[in-house]
Amino acid sequence: MDIIQNTLSSFVSLVPVTLAQSLILAFVVLGIMIPFRMLSFPDLTSEGAFPLGGCVCGVLMAAGMSPLAAIAIALLAGFLAGCCTAFIHLRFRIHTLLAGILMMTMLYSINLRIMGRSNISVFGAPTVFDWVPGLQPGFPASKIVVAGLIALVVFVLLYHFFRTEKGTAIRAVGANPDMAEAQGINVWMATIGGVGLAGAFSAAGGALMVQSQGFADVNMGLGILINGLAALMIGEAIVGKQSVLRQLAAPFVGAVVYYQLVSLCLAAGMPPPDLKLATGLFVLAMLALPSLKRSRGPAPARETVRE
Amino acid sequence: MLEIRSARKVFYKGQADEKVALDGLSLRLATGEFGVVIGSNGAGKSSMLNAISGALVLDSGQIVINGDDVTATPVHKRAMRLARVFQDPMRGTAASMTVAENMLLADLRSNKRTLRRGLNATRLASYKERLSLLGLGLENRLDTRVELLSGGQRQSLSLIMAVGGKPELLLLDEHTAALDPRTADIVMRATIRAVEALKLTTLMVTHNMQHAVDFGHKVVMLDAGRVRLEIDGKDKAQTTVPDLIGHFSVKTDRMFLAS
Repeated sequence: MDIIQNTLSSFVSLVPVTLAQSLILAFVVLGIMIPFRMLSFPDLTSEGAFPLGGCVCGVLMAAGMSPLAAIAIALLAGFLAGCCTAFIHLRFRIHTLLAGILMMTMLYSINLRIMGRSNISVFGAPTVFDWVPGLQPGFPASKIVVAGLIALVVFVLLYHFFRTEKGTAIRAVGANPDMAEAQGINVWMATIGGVGLAGAFSAAGGALMVQSQGFADVNMGLGILINGLAALMIGEAIVGKQSVLRQLAAPFVGAVVYYQLVSLCLAAGMPPPDLKLATGLFVLAMLALPSLKRSRGPAPARETVRE
Repeated sequence: MLEIRSARKVFYKGQADEKVALDGLSLRLATGEFGVVIGSNGAGKSSMLNAISGALVLDSGQIVINGDDVTATPVHKRAMRLARVFQDPMRGTAASMTVAENMLLADLRSNKRTLRRGLNATRLASYKERLSLLGLGLENRLDTRVELLSGGQRQSLSLIMAVGGKPELLLLDEHTAALDPRTADIVMRATIRAVEALKLTTLMVTHNMQHAVDFGHKVVMLDAGRVRLEIDGKDKAQTTVPDLIGHFSVKTDRMFLAS
């Protein structure tokens, strides 16, 4: 009984902090979902774009730039990183996964170059989280409000975008690239733009994370991809992916639920080093589920991705 | 008007398995003309359609549509002028998107895509009306994902998508070959209706000799990457299935079955 009580009380006390963190990391999950689901382009750039956003933001804040401008430039850097991955795939016919691995490996050096050292402290510098009136800066509540508001705006904008004429065309590229091309859609532009947008979101997540935690670290992206993927799987299991609305809601719902689960596991005494193994096994199980079901029931539509 | 001027394409050039797909092929199709292309497997029918649509880059020769040389134009830009229905119903539609969204994509083929709402009430109403012409009940399934439709329904949808917006050139690539006889008949009749109503310049590839006899203004027979025979006008009206089969140097089982 004591164990359960201790676990629960430490879990509950962590809920606000975890919620703030998960709303920030929801942007990374969004940056994983857009290429993966909307473009059928399994993209690994986020593992490098997330710290890229963080490093750019950290350096600029340390140089005294306003927090919003720092985020904007981090966003731009992430966009370029995503564009590069898509371009490598399209121009040289390199497998999407390999293009992502190349990009995130190269980004590690670039991130180190940008910062000039492996980490940078921006503690005490003004952040976007200070701008909430009536709340004490630095507390989880202000982070939840700011990150939640940005998430809401991004969600509404994306929901409208993917139902416009241009947005529908981008989704068509993911659904059937040959058909999209035959319908007059420029597959190159749609892919580069879409993967770029995803990189921008991953970088924005990194930038917000740096402002939230008060330092930038070149290793802050380590394992972010698998965490994001796990969050996406949970989100899709909860809200589904049958419509644009559900598919877009999945990253946000998934991020919030996933990080609470992680916090629960840690509160229950799970050693932190085991976390990656547990997450990896979970993602594996989620990905393997359709093929396990298939051996019994009728064959479902195969998940096709670009190579 | 479509003009193919001495198109040439060689696959695996300089290697042991070099294959001449198009060997100086020339073809002219007047505006509003309906040409039917026949020929044995490997005669170059698909290569010709791919060359017209831009999926295949020619070694030499030109493709001219309505007076404009489009030889160097990429696929997505040529799509503004031409529409294509593939043999495989899966290729011509986006499976994970709804019927209405597929119609929208086809609708925007020759237009600039904007940041306005894609599926508005006006569009939905017009899609409903256009789909109801098929008589398959697709007009009531606008929100159904295309992967849930049968092959025949998907192909009918592809056809409606292709003829919408009155393309300058319609390419039909054995578009009824993968369907059962009854559905093939429905799709073929819908094709003829649309082509006649809109007076579309059409190029149809088929292995069905009856279709080649019954439909179109002109029959073109390909062999080894060049035009072997062209029958039009009065001669076309008098041609019979055995006549056409007689022209095949290599008679495959498939043609016997089709006759």
